[in-house]
Amino acid sequence: MPSSKDINLPELVFEYGTNHPINIMKDSIMNLLLSFGFELAEGPEIETEKFNFDMLNIKKTHPARQMHDTFYLNSKSHLLRTHTSPVQIRGMLEKKPPMAFISGGKVYRKDDDSTHLPMFHQVEGIYVNEDVSFTELKDLIYKIIHSLFGEEIELRFRPSYFPFTEPSAEVDILSEDGKWLEILGCGIVNPQVIINCNIDPKRYRGLAFGLGIERIAMLKYGVNDIREFYKSNLDFLSQFK
Amino acid sequence: MKIAYQHILKNLKEKPSIDEISEKLFQLGHEHEIFGNVFHMEFTPNRGDCLSVLGLCRDLSVFYKTELNYDIYKGQLSPLKIDFINNAEKSCPHISFLKIEIGENIKSYNKDLESYFSEMDIKKNNFFTDISNYVSYEIGHPTHCYDASKINSSIYIEKRKDTGIFKTLLDTELKLTGPNLVFYTEDEIINLAGIVGSKSTACSETTNSVLVECAYFNPEEIIGKSVKYDIQSEAAYKFERGVDPLSQEQVLRRFLKIVSEHTDILSVSYFSKNYSAYKYPSVDNNLREINKILGINLSVNEFEHYLESLNFKIDDKNITPPSYRSDIYSCNDIAEEIARIIGYDNIPRKEFQLPKKALSKKYNSEENIKNLLIDNGFYEVINNPFVPKSKSELMIKVDNPLDSNREYLRLDLKDSLVNNLLYNERRQQDSIKLFEISDIYLQIEGIQKKRILGIIASGRVGKNYEDFSKKININYLEKIFESVNLNIKSDIINISRDNLDTKLKTPIIYTELEFDEDSLNLRKYNQLNKPSTLFKRYVPISEYPSSSRDLSFAIKDFNQLKELERQLFNFEHELLKDLYIFDYYKNEDVQEIKIGFRFVIQSSKRTITDDDVANVMNDIIKLALKLNGITIPGLKI
Repeated sequence: MPSSKDINLPELVFEYGTNHPINIMKDSIMNLLLSFGFELAEGPEIETEKFNFDMLNIKKTHPARQMHDTFYLNSKSHLLRTHTSPVQIRGMLEKKPPMAFISGGKVYRKDDDSTHLPMFHQVEGIYVNEDVSFTELKDLIYKIIHSLFGEEIELRFRPSYFPFTEPSAEVDILSEDGKWLEILGCGIVNPQVIINCNIDPKRYRGLAFGLGIERIAMLKYGVNDIREFYKSNLDFLSQFK
Repeated sequence: MKIAYQHILKNLKEKPSIDEISEKLFQLGHEHEIFGNVFHMEFTPNRGDCLSVLGLCRDLSVFYKTELNYDIYKGQLSPLKIDFINNAEKSCPHISFLKIEIGENIKSYNKDLESYFSEMDIKKNNFFTDISNYVSYEIGHPTHCYDASKINSSIYIEKRKDTGIFKTLLDTELKLTGPNLVFYTEDEIINLAGIVGSKSTACSETTNSVLVECAYFNPEEIIGKSVKYDIQSEAAYKFERGVDPLSQEQVLRRFLKIVSEHTDILSVSYFSKNYSAYKYPSVDNNLREINKILGINLSVNEFEHYLESLNFKIDDKNITPPSYRSDIYSCNDIAEEIARIIGYDNIPRKEFQLPKKALSKKYNSEENIKNLLIDNGFYEVINNPFVPKSKSELMIKVDNPLDSNREYLRLDLKDSLVNNLLYNERRQQDSIKLFEISDIYLQIEGIQKKRILGIIASGRVGKNYEDFSKKININYLEKIFESVNLNIKSDIINISRDNLDTKLKTPIIYTELEFDEDSLNLRKYNQLNKPSTLFKRYVPISEYPSSSRDLSFAIKDFNQLKELERQLFNFEHELLKDLYIFDYYKNEDVQEIKIGFRFVIQSSKRTITDDDVANVMNDIIKLALKLNGITIPGLKI
């Protein structure tokens, strides 16, 4: 063993570990949104159809509600949440406008192939106030994407469809190889969802957005295969210090 | 759905390029890719009205002048005597039948039909089925053709339960379970409504008398059926998304017109019945609200012009969408229509700002414990919660698992972490320290949640010269937690390797702790290693085995030690994956330092050979021996 007074000692290198890269990315996005003034909301991963679908205006016949898309539990009395949106519903039921909060965590869909996993991560946010508009939503999305990918990144908004927002949009960024890549979904909260949460839709409107963490992590880190994140390979994990 | 560029152009007075149309389609929200001259469209599920050339051109008419009038049969249609009984009026509120008898000779397909088959790259079937497919492509409303000579009794439509085996015109057999909307005769089921017809009544090359059915089915009756019965059905895809409830006569007249262009029509008759009157939805005409939703200031003229270009009718109080737009109910829907036409990217931005609140950061025990573990070389992992067979009645069962190995939700993190550890051991890792934090769910008087920390470790404590020869054991983990005044000794266990798929013998230690204010609560922790805030680009991992070599250097001139370190740590070679000092000893008696370096060699492209290893090591040795006073004991040159 070396003596403590030995001035020739070589450097004693301690190997630090690290957080999982998906959690690094999730925390980074959540911290960014907290810095904008959003509050943090949390909710369970095991949900009911009421909070995961009904309250979000997702009808009984929507494909997402079929057995091939959603993991149901205990003879369909519960399910594994398919998105973090139920947390927004719980938040809107608990609080009174104006309110702005975010939630993040694991979500589940019945998928398992080279580009889809049965478990992945989302971050979602909602802001409900008087006179909320699409123009503000656009500004917020620009701020998020510029913070993540830099001010120079080119982005575009495309009309899309989500039962819980109307108008709905998907946002793409232009990659270095000239391809548009879908990065997040957003929209004006559907008035039916506002009504479901006992809020007066004539007075209040909401804007909402959601991001898939794995997608952004793959772009930021340059990881091509989503499955790499969940092999727990130390050669992989040690690259994210 | 595929739609050919030239078929779109046929309906536009102007002739925009394929790229111009592509840009406009994106603006309207119609995602697609272009292969050759064909758009491969991915419509959102609310836009069933766009699933045809006509539908897409109707949407494009906000940008281009269009001529959407298809040539239809304009003659009188005599009434069809058909014994049709509708026992499912809510599921099928509108239905029409057209019976056509034709002569024997059928001409070669005209330019439009030929172009459809060639551009879409699909095979022809038989005359009537081909026309049915073409009309569905052109107008968007599927029809079903029965060989009229094969139907000799009344036709019923009804929701029937568990009707057994159904032979489809695709030569497959379906076991119909649960309630299904079906057409049937006295003898058999002849059509799984909106999905696929029966083999027994299907048209063939010899069919000269056809009964064409054109119905509106409530989408809820169709949704999920093609997936349930594993049938690729374009008709089902359209009915699920909603077809125009008022287009049946136009569709059948178009069908008839095409038939008449190819053969002699000997007789034709028509039946149509609406079991409930179609009620146009109506939305408040409230431009002020729409401007508020979008945050813009649209004039009345602009507003009305945009909506009229989409065939919406407007009066002082109401906006009425056309019958094919089943997705329009509210001001928000109208706002989306306006935004699509303006272009989402052309809508300005307005400063988004939330009232700033003072950030009162509460201590976070979970974060503090994570940082403690990371400072001690532990890596966080994330595992999915699905596990095989139930170990306990407390486990929650998945009703529809991906497979039998993922039938339950885990109650602990141990099995996942053991698998993670073994995976890394197989990849030649000799110091493995992992942790996972996750919610777990238990079936106790409903569903209970716990927040759990699992830690697993095995092998060397570390790779530096102080820790290299130390093995991870219970005491090691206990001391880490003792350093922050947490006592977890009684919670740490050794995991036996007896039943694990491994030949290694090194101890595996494991602990699982619940985040709890009383037992696992770390209010304060000063993180030693502040993680980088930059996102590093990932370097793909080699799947080829690595090889390690140790070199022990003897140093008489102590001043050369730092230079040796500098030279070796700066040495670069594409095959050198890692190096570290695993041993250091200073012998005061003989005034000599011995220092051991481990070099890990691996290729990202192939399995390395002995020669590869020797080449790397020779370069390293040459570099080191250039320094005065440094030798490698035992080295044979």
